[in-house]
Amino acid sequence: MSHYSETVGGGRYERVLLWVEDHLRWILTLPALAVLAAFFIYPVGRALVLSLYQFDTGGRQFVALENYVAILTAGAFWQSLWITAKFMFFAVSLEVGLGIAIAFVLNSKVRFRGLIQTIGLVPLVISPTVVALLWQLLYQNGGVLDSLVAPLTSGPVPWLSDPSIALYALVLPDVWQMTPLVTLIVLAGLQSVPDHVQEAAMMDGAGRMRRLVDVTLPYIKELVVLVLILRVIGTMRVFAKVFVLTRGGPAKSTEVISMAMYREAFSYGNYGRASTMALLLLLIALAITYAFATVSEVEF
Amino acid sequence: MATDTKPKRGVGRALLAGVERIHETLDSYGLVPTVTNGIALLFVVWTLFPVYWMVSGSLRTRSDLLATPPKLVSTAITVGNYPELFAQRPTFYEFLFNSVVVTVGSTALAVLLGTAATYGFVNYEFPYDLGRFHLPFLVLTTRFLPPIVTVIPLHVIFDTASLLNTRLGLVLAYAAFNIPFVVWMLKGFFAELPDSIVEAAVLDGHTELGAFFKIVLPMVRPGLIAATIFTVINAWNELLFAVILTSNTEAQTLPVALATFKTAYAIQWELLTVAGTIAMAPVLLFAFLVREKLLRGFTMGAVR
Repeated sequence: MSHYSETVGGGRYERVLLWVEDHLRWILTLPALAVLAAFFIYPVGRALVLSLYQFDTGGRQFVALENYVAILTAGAFWQSLWITAKFMFFAVSLEVGLGIAIAFVLNSKVRFRGLIQTIGLVPLVISPTVVALLWQLLYQNGGVLDSLVAPLTSGPVPWLSDPSIALYALVLPDVWQMTPLVTLIVLAGLQSVPDHVQEAAMMDGAGRMRRLVDVTLPYIKELVVLVLILRVIGTMRVFAKVFVLTRGGPAKSTEVISMAMYREAFSYGNYGRASTMALLLLLIALAITYAFATVSEVEF
Repeated sequence: MATDTKPKRGVGRALLAGVERIHETLDSYGLVPTVTNGIALLFVVWTLFPVYWMVSGSLRTRSDLLATPPKLVSTAITVGNYPELFAQRPTFYEFLFNSVVVTVGSTALAVLLGTAATYGFVNYEFPYDLGRFHLPFLVLTTRFLPPIVTVIPLHVIFDTASLLNTRLGLVLAYAAFNIPFVVWMLKGFFAELPDSIVEAAVLDGHTELGAFFKIVLPMVRPGLIAATIFTVINAWNELLFAVILTSNTEAQTLPVALATFKTAYAIQWELLTVAGTIAMAPVLLFAFLVREKLLRGFTMGAVR
């Protein structure tokens, strides 16, 4: 690094080169840091300022902390957090539960395992927007899902138009798309258990159950925490599926937090309120991040 | 605790015990392979059917597609929906074009800046431990941060910076969101390189910069490819930023077109299935071509 500057430099080109070599660490890292600052730190700062203003037809006016008081005391914000939490709970438990179960099944002597793993990639690479459309087509009145459940119901199910069903009708596409992620990660963990470890345990007289608990489980424990974290983050930011399938309706029954913020900013034009909600959500996200970072030893 | 014959308690263990009991019962009837293969088949059908349904729908007439009860296999196949989509909605070419430009541009930028930054962070020391502190912290927060948090102020910022409704704006925003991802995927590859490799190259007469391009980059190529694959998929599929930061065919991408396809009257499913298929096809083809790398990428960090 610095020994270059001790070399007696010749022409201008060499001097530029020397300067570059001497400052390489900054040249390499500053552009990325600048972009991150511009797109993460600056917007949060801007949101802080915006959150102190009220936006209406007459322009904007300074209202100090009024937005915070209004949001925290009115029910709508808490309601959309609750809806997000419900979506998160059902989606994450189904994805992680089913995902692990399928991983165990595929880890036993199943035919075409490689092919099945490749098929598991299919939902993962499709846009959530398209996933929503795939399911909207399946949810069509008298469509595939209706005829599938026909023996159990009387007539077509109002999948997306009944407030008591719609949220679960949003959970299903997410489960369809993301269960394979859990399966693929856990399966990779299961297959990383070296055969000789299993064999050694067998030689020691450990039964299947004991081998599962004492040999296999430690290998996948960390991975289960990892996918849990990934899916909690993923479901917290769900937007595309809601935007395409229900836009938060019917009767706001699927208005998850990102949809509520979208509506506040772009339907009502109230950037102040929306920014306030953004900052509150940021606090929640940081709290979850901090909790996971301290509880688990997973490296990101 | 070798003397402990009973497994320890816990939800996971209780579940495992239950599964084990089912397994033993099935095993006594010799049904294990049937059941596991059956579940695997079910998983495959469940995963592929929705995709099959949309792709096959794009090749059917409207009445055939929406028939009740649904016809699982069509008798009348037509490709007429494809030209019909572009005839009825000529703007689709523009959405496609925008998607391609934004994907290519943001991927190039994210991989370039992300690679440089990762190499810098891994190989150099920074005052105040900037590298060691910032690298994991930035990656962590940006991966946890719901994008809706930044996109609302970003809309206001883009408005004053004249970046609203431009492809450049989307390129920058996607690059920014993918840089932490690129860093996360690459840092392992860079960290695994022996420290002496650059020193050896310098002794051989390379400059440090030359050593980076000629020796380091080729060695982390698998990481670069993986990072590129994921950035391409992320950018091609993104909706939230696109829907908030763009407003017409100047910059709107395919996902925006799909999300707002519904007309005031009804959904033209015979055309929407075509649009959906067009949006899926490139990523599915791409995923198939690089499936090994993709699998490794998804399970990365998982198995190390």
